[in-house]
Amino acid sequence: MPTLTIDNLSVTIPDGSTIFEAAAQLGIVVPHFCYHHALGAVGACRMCAVTVVEGKMPGLKMSCMTPAEEGMVVETDTAQAMEFREHVGEWLMTNHPHDCPVCDEGGECQLQEMTISSGHGVRNYRGNKRTYQNQDLGPFIAQEMNRCIQCYRCARTYQDYCGGRDFGPMGSRQRVFFGRFTDGMLESDFSGNIVDVCPTGVLTDKTFRFKTRLWDLQQAPSICPHCSLGCATVPGGRYREIQRVVSGVNVQTNGHFICDRGRFGSSYVNHPKRPRQARVDGTNVPVAQALNRLRDKIAGVIAEHGPGAVAFVGSGRASLEANWLLKQWARSLKCPAPVFELHPRRGRAIRQAVGPLSSHLASLRQVRKSDLVLVIGADPLNEAPMLALALRQAVREGGRIVVLDPRPVDLPCVFEHHPLTQEQILCLLAGRCETGLLNNLLSELMTARRPVLVGGSDLLGGVGLQLLGHLTESCDNDDRYCLIHPLLPRVNSFGGGLLEDAPQEDLLERLENGRIKALVCLESDPGSEHPEAGRMQLALSRLDYLAVFDCLPTHATRRADLLLPTATTVEGDGVYINNEGRMQAFSAALQPGIPIAAVTAGQHPPREFMPETPGSQPQPAWQMLQDLLGERHSVTALRRAMEQSEPRLEGMSRLQPGDEGIKVAPQDPEPVEESTVEIWSQDGDLRLLPVQSCYGSEVASSLSQTVTPRLVTPRLMVHPQEAQQRHLQEGEDVTLKTAHGLFRLRLFCDERMATRRAIVPCLPGTPLEIFVPGGLSLPCDIEGGAS
Amino acid sequence: MSLWRDIKGTLQPFWVTLCNMMRRPVTVQYPEQKQQMAQRYRGRLMLTRDPEGHERCVACHLCSAACPVDCISMQAAEGDDGRRHAAWFRINFTRCIFCGLCTEACPTLAIQVTGEFELAGRDPLKLVWEKDDLLVDHGGHTPDYNFYRQSGVGVAAPRGGLPTETAPVDPKDLMP
Ligand code: SF4
Ligand code: SF4
Ligand code: SF4
Ligand code: SF4
Ligand code: FES
Repeated sequence: MPTLTIDNLSVTIPDGSTIFEAAAQLGIVVPHFCYHHALGAVGACRMCAVTVVEGKMPGLKMSCMTPAEEGMVVETDTAQAMEFREHVGEWLMTNHPHDCPVCDEGGECQLQEMTISSGHGVRNYRGNKRTYQNQDLGPFIAQEMNRCIQCYRCARTYQDYCGGRDFGPMGSRQRVFFGRFTDGMLESDFSGNIVDVCPTGVLTDKTFRFKTRLWDLQQAPSICPHCSLGCATVPGGRYREIQRVVSGVNVQTNGHFICDRGRFGSSYVNHPKRPRQARVDGTNVPVAQALNRLRDKIAGVIAEHGPGAVAFVGSGRASLEANWLLKQWARSLKCPAPVFELHPRRGRAIRQAVGPLSSHLASLRQVRKSDLVLVIGADPLNEAPMLALALRQAVREGGRIVVLDPRPVDLPCVFEHHPLTQEQILCLLAGRCETGLLNNLLSELMTARRPVLVGGSDLLGGVGLQLLGHLTESCDNDDRYCLIHPLLPRVNSFGGGLLEDAPQEDLLERLENGRIKALVCLESDPGSEHPEAGRMQLALSRLDYLAVFDCLPTHATRRADLLLPTATTVEGDGVYINNEGRMQAFSAALQPGIPIAAVTAGQHPPREFMPETPGSQPQPAWQMLQDLLGERHSVTALRRAMEQSEPRLEGMSRLQPGDEGIKVAPQDPEPVEESTVEIWSQDGDLRLLPVQSCYGSEVASSLSQTVTPRLVTPRLMVHPQEAQQRHLQEGEDVTLKTAHGLFRLRLFCDERMATRRAIVPCLPGTPLEIFVPGGLSLPCDIEGGAS
Repeated sequence: MSLWRDIKGTLQPFWVTLCNMMRRPVTVQYPEQKQQMAQRYRGRLMLTRDPEGHERCVACHLCSAACPVDCISMQAAEGDDGRRHAAWFRINFTRCIFCGLCTEACPTLAIQVTGEFELAGRDPLKLVWEKDDLLVDHGGHTPDYNFYRQSGVGVAAPRGGLPTETAPVDPKDLMP
């Protein structure tokens, strides 16, 4: 822990830090380009020069490359250092096109800031400027190479940090170019991060092109709603339209980066079909009237049929506050407690993560630092992309990754893949099958210093996660825990699981036998979330009364007798609990309303005043639920009340949007229901596994028009061996026969996947929407030719 | 001493008045008579065009950022030729204090002051001017300046085609 003096201020910093980091700790920002917190220093730009006055090697030094030493005296503003930095600023600007007014970086341009702080103002260079031709990098990233200062941050991010292979530096001397070998969409699922790191306007967000300057952007720290990792984001918008999302910083979860689904998949907020009007029996009414009506209606049903006739459904999409208030409401009416996950098998998995596993949960940071990660039944790039990036960091630090999964798993790093089927994995975990592989892995886990097990809840289910829990416990030793990082279905699945008291009877059965007369859904859509989606939709169409709170257009909102429009994540405050039990708060960046651009078709905004903003009815669900309960507390008071009623939420009222979050208290060890291993009948030799795909499987990205170019088409994937046996060719249209019907799909073959399995992506809005991820594999058959 | 000063102070104003009584009056009989304002008078704003007749404004938002009363709003858009322009541009002259800060901020010299000051009216909405109202067909005080001929993004001239630029490099070239 050396102590040194910088600009007459003394600072003590951890061993191995540089002068640059020491200065940053004092709040002194030394001008810099190539240094980035997540990427470290490379000493390429020479902008960060300072003078070491006293130390082993006095003189002009690059602060980002020089280790801080005990007793060093450094000055950042000597004439020598300032002159040097001014020259560097001038050299970097020799080829700059000076087009700031038409550059999207304007307002957040590090080149502007650093050039000004370097002191350079007047161009002395009289030579001509070098120019480039630009490339088309696809729908997400715009490129203007003339602005480049060759700091290599983009290449270091794309290739080194994110493991992308199709973008990087090319050429020599004055011709160094950053791009792809040929035009085309960037392949990496983390491509958007090069926009955040590029200090100039070379790489900008194409979906945000010419929309808004930073100073006009309404922004707030938020949480990505697309998967259970809960990455920190900063959404921004203007004129009631969400326009972009950039990465927030949370060293415990995503670090400095986010995936492209989180970044570009937010236009669902602007979706033209979003529910924006409270509706009662087909008529638009004010929210207050709809709430009164709902209260009366539920009271009526209870008076007639008893409290058992009303069912409540919470969800992993709704905030913790809303779910908790729903539970309070159900309790005050003496109705059965809400179901928080409609998919029973997914629900069991969540209960495992929230309960028995809660003392061993690993954060993404711990995954990044791990030396052995066993990924079991998970496909990170498709289920939780930032996990794939965390795994890459583990490999970069010398860790090893072993994946057991039937899918053709792709990761941006070196890993070992065993394509086992779902039941093979479960058998293996239960110790019922050939255990050679498991024993090898176990002995590795025992000796690893920071082992982490990643478990995908969709494939493993509750039983699988429970077995994984036993495995971690058996690998614990005195020095360390063997940690587990479960992937859960939705952003707040953990929160829902935590509020659940006891497992409940499947909602579908209760609906089908007519015991339920009224159903209240909070940001959940039974018709697409329940594994028997078709039966569920039928049951809902026969239901007496359906009340829905939602912000997205779903089957349920279309069918609803009473609809209450809620605010999306970017329009309200709330708390989500991510897959490792971390409570994180988000706050509203925008007020709900129909985007001005949509109201005026891109023309001048209306000239007349209107008493009400069009489409501004949506409110955070917790506010409406408070109204129903006749309360009006501030969000802090509400959180305090929640802490008192749920001791595991301790600390919730101290959460600040944008902070690291607070982990929920682990559950006290208590005996859990012992379940039997799911072994299912194996009739037919081919079985179908519906899986999540990165874009378009969860409802928010399926409604985000911006990610359309990345959507996969409905398809069927098998091992080439299966295709050969059936005399089918890759690329031909085949018929998939299942209990849910016949589907015409294009056949794809991949030899990395398990044999005897057919894989389809779950895609709402396509014929494949009948398939819901999270279940056991289904019997199926494939036939070639016309059906 | 002070007595002399007092006498002078009493008589001098009479003298000034007397002199001016003999001069031609400077008062302009406004509104019957209109006045030509000074070149640098800061009146109503306009959006000018470059020498090639294109709209100068690139909707960079700098004028709206500089405006102390926040009376400028706009939305940028991209034309087919890659030209950034204002899809819509609005100045609310009921709020404008004619400080001219917007014109100082404008990097393309698009927004400029005119000598016009007769903006009073009964309907405030008539003072909310849209792009079509603001756009003129000349270059205002700076007829020669053309932003896109200064900055190298390949809009007015092909990429690398400005006199200050070299032709685009071939990054795949390996010659030393
Ligand atoms: S494109 Fe941006 S990040 Fe990459 S080298 Fe150029 S200036 Fe740096
Ligand atoms: S990994 Fe998940 S939470 Fe993180 S940015 Fe991507 S979709 Fe959002
Ligand atoms: S003259 Fe001043 S007040 Fe009027 S628009 Fe320009 S900056 Fe704003
Ligand atoms: S500063 Fe000039 S170019 Fe920029 S938006 Fe205003 S008028 Fe247009
Ligand atoms: S930041 Fe130190 S050399 Fe670039």
